[in-house]
Amino acid sequence: MFHRLLIANRGEVAARIARACRDLDIQPVGVVSEADADSAWAKEMDEVCCIGPGAPTDSYLRGERILQAAKQMRCTAIHPGWGFLAENAQFAALCRQHGVTFVGPSPELMASMGLKSPAKTAMRAAGLPVIPGSDGPLADAEEAARVAAEVGFPVILKADAGGGGRGMRLCHNDKEVRESFGLCSTEALANFGSASVYLEKYLTGGRHIEVQVLVDNYGSAVHLGERECSVQRRHQKLTEESPSPALSDVERRELGAMAAEAARRVGYTGAGTIEFLRASPNEEVGPGKLYFMEMNTRLQVEHPVSELVTGIDLAAWQIRIAAGEALDFTQDDIVFRGHAVEARINAEDPTLDFRPSPGTLTKFSFDLEAGPGKLRLDTHLKQGETVPPHYDSLLGKLIAWGETRDEAIATLLAGLQSAQVEGLPTTISLHESVLQSDAFRSGDYDTASIPGWPPVAASN
Amino acid sequence: MAHVPLTSIGKDVTLEVDSATSTKRRGVLEERESVLRERRAIVEAGWGKKYVDRVHQKGKLTTRERLDLLVDEGTRQFEVGTFVNWGRKFGKVESPGAGVVTVFAQIEGRWCIVIANDNTVASGSWWPRSPEKIERAQEIALKLKLPVVYLVDCSGLYLPEQGLSFPGRTGAGHIFKKNSELSDKGVPQIAGVFGDCIAGGGYMPIISDRVYMTEIAYMVIAGAALIKGAKSQHLSSLGIGGPEVHVHQSGCADVRVPDDATAIRCIRGEIAGTGSSSNDFYRFGAGALEPNFPAEDLEALVPTDHRMVYSAEEVLARLTDGSLFWEILPDRGKEMMVGVGRVNGLYMGFIINRQGILDDTEHHGAKKPAGILYKQGIAKTSAFSRACDADGIPILWLQDVSGFDIGVEAEQLGLLGYGSSLIYTNSTNSVPMFTVLLRKASGAGYYAMAGHPYEPVVQLSTSITRQAVMEGRTLAIAAFNTKLDDDFNIASTDPEEIEAIEAGMAATEARIEADMDPFRAAAQMDTDEIVPLADLRAWAEVFAETSYQAMGTRRVKNPRIWSLHDIAALSEPRG
Repeated sequence: MFHRLLIANRGEVAARIARACRDLDIQPVGVVSEADADSAWAKEMDEVCCIGPGAPTDSYLRGERILQAAKQMRCTAIHPGWGFLAENAQFAALCRQHGVTFVGPSPELMASMGLKSPAKTAMRAAGLPVIPGSDGPLADAEEAARVAAEVGFPVILKADAGGGGRGMRLCHNDKEVRESFGLCSTEALANFGSASVYLEKYLTGGRHIEVQVLVDNYGSAVHLGERECSVQRRHQKLTEESPSPALSDVERRELGAMAAEAARRVGYTGAGTIEFLRASPNEEVGPGKLYFMEMNTRLQVEHPVSELVTGIDLAAWQIRIAAGEALDFTQDDIVFRGHAVEARINAEDPTLDFRPSPGTLTKFSFDLEAGPGKLRLDTHLKQGETVPPHYDSLLGKLIAWGETRDEAIATLLAGLQSAQVEGLPTTISLHESVLQSDAFRSGDYDTASIPGWPPVAASN
Repeated sequence: MAHVPLTSIGKDVTLEVDSATSTKRRGVLEERESVLRERRAIVEAGWGKKYVDRVHQKGKLTTRERLDLLVDEGTRQFEVGTFVNWGRKFGKVESPGAGVVTVFAQIEGRWCIVIANDNTVASGSWWPRSPEKIERAQEIALKLKLPVVYLVDCSGLYLPEQGLSFPGRTGAGHIFKKNSELSDKGVPQIAGVFGDCIAGGGYMPIISDRVYMTEIAYMVIAGAALIKGAKSQHLSSLGIGGPEVHVHQSGCADVRVPDDATAIRCIRGEIAGTGSSSNDFYRFGAGALEPNFPAEDLEALVPTDHRMVYSAEEVLARLTDGSLFWEILPDRGKEMMVGVGRVNGLYMGFIINRQGILDDTEHHGAKKPAGILYKQGIAKTSAFSRACDADGIPILWLQDVSGFDIGVEAEQLGLLGYGSSLIYTNSTNSVPMFTVLLRKASGAGYYAMAGHPYEPVVQLSTSITRQAVMEGRTLAIAAFNTKLDDDFNIASTDPEEIEAIEAGMAATEARIEADMDPFRAAAQMDTDEIVPLADLRAWAEVFAETSYQAMGTRRVKNPRIWSLHDIAALSEPRG
C-alpha cells in the first residue's frame, strides 16, 4: 500500500479522500490554491503544498505543478478526486511516465470513454444497449439525414468531443438536420478542436439511472447497485437515491450484472459509474428501455448513497485497487440493505435562479441524530469559514439511510429541518420541498422537471 | 532516472495560427492534396474498367479486390510506391504503379508486407522499375522482419521494354535474390498463385514457405506460346504448369484451391500461424493514446510556402501519444529538436528541424536562422541517433532543412567532420529509421538527416516536399555567376545579352522547380510515398507498430537501462 498519497483536489472531495487515506493508514498530502490556504479541510492533511493562485486554471488544473508537488513531497500516488483533473487522460499518462500511480483507470481507457462515440462503440461491443443513432461520427449532411430517417425524429446532433450539454442541436425534420449538420460541425471544431459530429435519437424526459462498479486489476468486477439521479436542474444533479424506485428487483440485478460485465470487458479498473437513460414510458419506440449514456471514469459526488446501502467504502477500495489489491469479495457477498437518499447542499439561492452566493458561514450545524434512520454529513466546512468564489458552491452533502425508502426520506427531511445554516442562502429549502412532494414520494419523477419545485405558493 | 520523464507539449491550434491564416493555409494545401488524391485514384484504377471486366470474366478477382479480402476488416492499407513510373510513357501506354501494388497491411492482427501484381495492368507484367518496386517492398519487410504475402498474377517481363528491366543489378532476377535473403533471415513468405505466371512470374512464388495455387493458375519457365515457337509443340500452359503438375508432381506448390477467395482465406490462415505481435509487450504497461491535438492541425500549422516558419514542437504535439515528449539536450543546438515520445504506446525517437530565428547557443547573445545544420545541432543529432540505436528506439526523422551552414566559420569549425560523423552514425545504425520530408530536403542536410541514400526503412514526402541540392533561384545565380555583379544584378548593358541571361536564369529556375515536384521524385523512386500532412500520425503509428512487432529480431532495451538517460544526466545543469 502507498505510504503517502497526494490529493489533487480541494474542499469536500479532498476531505473525503483524506478520510479514506486515514482508514488505510496512508498519509494524505494536500495541494491548495492561495484562496484555500487557510481552509479547515487543508488542516486534515499531513502536509500541504501551495500550487498557485485561486483560479483553478492557475492551480488545481495545473497538472505538471501537481505532479512536481507529488514528487517533491515523496508521494507515490495521486488521487484526482472528481472534477478538475479526474478525467484528464494526458495527466494520467504524465503521472505514469514519472512513476506516480494515478488513482483511476488507464489513460487510454479514460480517453476512449471521454469521447462520446468511441465510448458508445466500445460499450455496444461490450454488450450494453445504446441509444439508436449513427455508428460513430457522421461523414456529411447526407449521411446525417439518412441516419435520422432511420431512427425517426426528433434527433439530436452532438459534438463528439463535447459535453455538459454543450455542442448539441435538436432537429425535428430532414431540413433541420441538413441545415444543422454543417453548423454543428463548425461549432464543434471551434469549441472542442474536433469537427466530429454524431447523431442520436432524441429522447424527452426519461430517468437518469447509473450503476456503480468496482473492477480490480485482475479482471474481477462487481456492481454496487444503481443510483437514481433524475432530480436535476440543467443537468446538475440535486438529490440522489439508491436503489432507484423505477426498477424492479429483476431489472436491478440484470442491469447491475450487465454494467459490471461491460466494465470488465472494456478493461476498466477501479471505481467507475456507467450512466443509463431509462426512456419515458410514453416513448413511442422502446418505452421504459434502458440505454447506455456514458461512463464516468472516477468516483462521483453521490457515491455515499451506494456506500450506505452496501456498507462498502468506495473511496478506500478505489485506492486499494490502484495499489494492486484484488477485490476480496464477490458479487454474491454484496448485500443490499435499506435505502439511502442524498441532498447536495449548495451555496445557491434557489429563489433567485440558483445564483451562487459565496460568503461567510456564520452558522453551520446539523443534528445527525434527527431522524428515525441514520444520517451522514460529508462536508469540508466549519462554522465561521468563508466560501471562496472560485470554485463550485457545494457546502456539503447530507445523506440519510433507512430500512425503507419512506424512512430514509423522513430521516433526510428531519436532518435538513434540523439544519442551522446562516450567513448565505442555501438549497436546503429546495430539498425540503422536493422530499415533501407527492411526485418524489411516489417515486414517479423524471429529469424533465424538479419534483415539488418551484413550491406551490403558501396562500394556495 | 529510470522513468521516461515525458512532459506535455503543444497548444491549441487557434492559439498558434489565427483563423484567417489557418483557412488560407488549408486552402492552398488542399489544392495540392486534391491533386494527390486524384492521382492516387488514377493509379488505383489500373488500366480501367475494360481490364477489370476482363479479369472478372476469367473468374478471377482484381488485385485490389484480393487485397481488400486479405486484410483485417476495417483496417487501412498503407501503400508505398504508388507513384512509381508516374507520367512515364512506354510507347503509347503507361504503367500505373509500375503494375504492382505494395502495401503495409494488417492480417490476423499482424503487420505484413503484401506484394501484389496488378492484373488490370498488362496482365500483371513487369515494367521497367517494377522489379525495383518489388525489391524495395522486400527490403522493408527484411528490415522489419514482417511476413510477406505475394499475390502472384504475372505474365513475366513486359517484353518490349526488357532492356530496362532484365540485365541490371536490380533487374527482375534480383527479386529472387531478395526472396532468398528473406528466407535466410527467417522471414515468413507466403504466396498465392492466381493466374498466368510465366518466367519471372513463375519463379517469384517458389521460394515462399507456402504456395497456394488456384485451379486456373499456372507457373511455367516458358509459356505455351514460346514452346510452340521454340519446339513446335502444341500444349496449353495450364496443362504444363497448372496445379495438377505443380502440387502433385513437381512439388513446386503446396496446396490447390478452387478460387481466389479460398486462396486468400488460406493465406490468412497461414499468417495466423506466424508469431503474434509483440507490440503489447513493448508498450511497457501503457496503451495507445491519441495525441491531445488532432493531426489535421498540421494543415494549418505547416505553411506551404517553404520560406515561412512554424513551430517544430507543435508538429510533434500532433504525432505523439497524449502530446507528451521528452526533449533531450534542449539547451544545445536549438536548431534541432530531438527526444522521445510514444506512438500507440510504443517509444519512438524524433529528430526535427526547428524553424525561424533562434538563440545561437554557440555565440552568447546572438541569434541565427534555424532550418540549417550547425555544429551543436549536428553533434546533438548524432549523439541522439547513436543512443537510440544503442537503446533500440526506432527513429522518425522529420526533415525541413536547407542544408549545412556554409562559410568561413563553418569550415573552421569543421562541419565537414561533424557532418561525416552524423553520416557514419546513420549509416551504421541498425535500429529502424523512418524519414519524413516535411518540406525542404536540401543539400547535404537531406543526406545527414537520413534521407533516402542512407536507406531509411521508409521515406515519405508530403505534397509540399522539395528535394534538391539547392533552390532554383540559388542555382540560377550560381550558374550565371560570371554574368552577375556583386548585387546579383546582370552585369551587362547590351539589351540582347541582358534578355538572353534573364531568359537563361528563368529557364534554369523553372527546370529546378519542376525537378523538385514530389511526383517526379516518387516516379523515379527517390521517395517511397507522398502522403497528406494529416496522415503523418497514422503513418507514425505504422512505423512504431511494425518496428516492435517481431520479437527477438533486434535489440529493444527496456527504458530503465536506456543510454539516453546517461546523456540526459550529463546534460543536467551544475547544481
